[in-house]
Amino acid sequence: MSYVALIFLPLFGSLFIYLPTRNLGGTKYITLALFIFMFSQMIALFTALPEHGYMMLGEYLPVTKFDFILTLQVDRLSVIMLLLSSVLLILVTLASWNVEKKPAAYFSLLIFFSGAIFGVFLSTNLLWFFIFWELTLIPMLFLVGIWGAEGRIYAAIKFFLYTHIASMLILLAFFLMYKESGTFDMTLIKESMLSTPVLIYFLLFIGFAVKMPLFPFHTWLPDAHVQAPAPVSALLAGVLLKMGAYGMIRLVLLLLPETSQKYAWILLTLGLITLLFAGFMALYETHIKKMVAYSSISHMGLIAIAMSALSFDSLSAALYEMIGHALIISPLFLIAGFFHQKLHSWEMKDMGGIMQKAPYLSAIFVLAGLGALGLPGTMGFIGEISILISAIESFGAWIVVILFGSLLASAYLIWTFRRVIYGQMSAKVSATDFSMHKVEFFALVIFALLILFFGIFPSSLFEVINQAFSPYLNAGGAL
Amino acid sequence: MSAFTLLFGFAILSFAIRNRSFLKLLSLSVLGVSAYLTLHGYALPLQGFYLSDGIAFFELILFIVLSAFVLNEDENISITQTLFIGTASIALLESQTLLNFIISFEALSIISFVLVANIKNTTQASGAVKMFIAGSIATALIVLGTTFYLFEGASLNAQIGSTGTFGTIGLWIMLSGLFYKLTIVPMHTWAADSYAQIKASNAALLSGVAKTVAAIAIFQTFSPFLLQHIAFNLPILIALALITMTLGNFLALFQKRVAKILAYSSIAHAGYMLLAFVAVKSSYASTGLLYIAIAYIFMQSALFLLIGNISKDSTQLRLDDLKGFGKKDKLVAFLFTVQLFSLAGVPLLAGFLSKAVLVYAVVDVDLPIVALVTLLNSALSVAYYVWIVKHIYFDEGDSKLQSLQALPLFAQLILLGGTLYFGVFALDVFKVII
Repeated sequence: MSYVALIFLPLFGSLFIYLPTRNLGGTKYITLALFIFMFSQMIALFTALPEHGYMMLGEYLPVTKFDFILTLQVDRLSVIMLLLSSVLLILVTLASWNVEKKPAAYFSLLIFFSGAIFGVFLSTNLLWFFIFWELTLIPMLFLVGIWGAEGRIYAAIKFFLYTHIASMLILLAFFLMYKESGTFDMTLIKESMLSTPVLIYFLLFIGFAVKMPLFPFHTWLPDAHVQAPAPVSALLAGVLLKMGAYGMIRLVLLLLPETSQKYAWILLTLGLITLLFAGFMALYETHIKKMVAYSSISHMGLIAIAMSALSFDSLSAALYEMIGHALIISPLFLIAGFFHQKLHSWEMKDMGGIMQKAPYLSAIFVLAGLGALGLPGTMGFIGEISILISAIESFGAWIVVILFGSLLASAYLIWTFRRVIYGQMSAKVSATDFSMHKVEFFALVIFALLILFFGIFPSSLFEVINQAFSPYLNAGGAL
Repeated sequence: MSAFTLLFGFAILSFAIRNRSFLKLLSLSVLGVSAYLTLHGYALPLQGFYLSDGIAFFELILFIVLSAFVLNEDENISITQTLFIGTASIALLESQTLLNFIISFEALSIISFVLVANIKNTTQASGAVKMFIAGSIATALIVLGTTFYLFEGASLNAQIGSTGTFGTIGLWIMLSGLFYKLTIVPMHTWAADSYAQIKASNAALLSGVAKTVAAIAIFQTFSPFLLQHIAFNLPILIALALITMTLGNFLALFQKRVAKILAYSSIAHAGYMLLAFVAVKSSYASTGLLYIAIAYIFMQSALFLLIGNISKDSTQLRLDDLKGFGKKDKLVAFLFTVQLFSLAGVPLLAGFLSKAVLVYAVVDVDLPIVALVTLLNSALSVAYYVWIVKHIYFDEGDSKLQSLQALPLFAQLILLGGTLYFGVFALDVFKVII
């Protein structure tokens, strides 16, 4: 099986699902089967990876004059991202099992997205990386714009424009890198660059900071999250934001280490502000999905702080937290969306006492929430403690201020539990049937099990993550 | 026998053919044979004409696009006009001397005037008159520029050589006339009205075909002059390019009629094309121009033809009329959206790679700020393209727009094929030089 098919088959195949005038009945089954197949391919790829370095998967469509070659290469970092993406795609498909509005179009867009996201993580040619990076925006635009809530159109267009403008900065940075190095191959560019103008660093930094997102480039995300249908919010948080973090690690920190070291304080500062600002915003929110959205942004701030430490341990911690964040925030979005679907309200005051009506669902919400605030036994704890330890090693004891972010998370999440899950049952909740489709519930159970499994056995994940960064490890542990 | 001779001969003969199906069939055959002759290097058989591999490649694209026009047209006279546009385009593209360039350029202009003279209502008449006046001014400027150029004793029957002060002034006056046709700001005002007021298929020929042909021919003819006086020319060209794209994009943002949005988008694209003139020192400039010309000829032609087909009066087609169209006609809405996304520069479509190569050409000549402004302009343009898509898909409505008949649909599929092919396969463009 050629890996290029994992990109182009979904990209072009999605059209054959979308275009027929009659809705195909089995689109969700086709989608699920495809994503399971993609996941199995990634498992096989992972087992075949060499100990260090990249594994060449093929070169296609060569235009040597412009070094515009679709080069597919993977290392452990990219395969981890591919595994995470394919798991989330499967779970999001399960969580969308009951989608009623235009299901063929909905699932065809998910399929299109899968092709684009695989392209992002498989391609090592910067131009092709950019092409797939941009293509992820198209399905998201339609998924938010058509299936979203009341303010979906504004949110969809804002998301598209905001992230597209950021992409333009990234493209310009790639062109400047090509001019300096004569290659678009990200595996060769570091050695080939004659100089690294600081402009390249800042263009890439802003471009990826918008996608992560970091304060003050975050304003597109709360709107997009709130208006997007719940499974799409999960995809946004679990995959799209991780693309930003992946770009920041792969193309800023690892490709431009000296400049990144010099300006690490900017990433640290923005990370701290994001962590605390979004934490306070989450505390202030009474809109359940906005609260989850700000919680998501706050955790991305924590990831940025880990990245800014620029050590082997801190990058490993950042990658662990990225995976943890994807698995923790996604069920929170899914359940918040389900509550809205049933209660027709986003306001927490209309909720309360849901535990009595939907105990299993509430238990998963509480578990994910506890994961988000970093309770031992969950992925959140391991992620946050490892970030704290590596940050103290790099920055000194003062960095314990990031614990204030965890304190804020505890405050807004426990308060949310009080208002939504426990407390007195509201009249709306009392009159509502919270029965969930079994397949959708199954997806949530998987999320819960993963949060607990990697929380209890973190070494199973850390072993893999550490290998991803081991080629960059030198004697001192710094990059 | 060359493609020019064959097309010219058949274009005259086509006046005598009444049966439209027969005319379409013969026209397609002639375009096919023309493509064959071009591929085998048969240039216009007169002194001062030459067929390079890059131009041959572009002519091949031109014949494919003209075939789509022939399939789409519903009037015999429109097919004949399409053939004449093709004839003049070949002459202009193969011109190697200044004299041949001027004559061919004027021939293309005169056919353009005839094209818009196919008037059906007062709106179209208004558009035609504006274009005629603009064209006359442009011709006057070209003639005036030529006299200045000749004043230094230069020859018209050769390529542009080194020039002194008068020659430089003359060539800039000529360029301002030519830029009139390319809709470069401040010589753009006629285009926004004309393109939006004339018949959609004519607007497609003018803004999609004639403009790209003119841009390539002007670049071929004037690049030695631009290179020779690069220090003087560069600031002027940068200013013209940036102002044209920015103004075109900003004005497009405020339009409610689809044809007007496409007209302003066309002005913005003239600004992008001018980047090749800015980056004339770079080896990527000509590739970038050829690429954007190829992409643009597919995208713009497809969109104007499409709005002409789905609405009774394309000049009056408003954004609100598109509401619910995505639900009503999935396939046509999809074709519309793909071409819009390509104009916006979305990847895997020709519009992206063409802009990318042009922007890199600008980076290659150490003008990163110009590249940044261009990229931000491209991002700005996404706002109004996505706004159209929003009306098609996101808004609820009971669209009254028509579906496409079989032949126009086939024409659209040909144009879609071009947009998709050149969005992925860039090698063909990089292999040739104009």
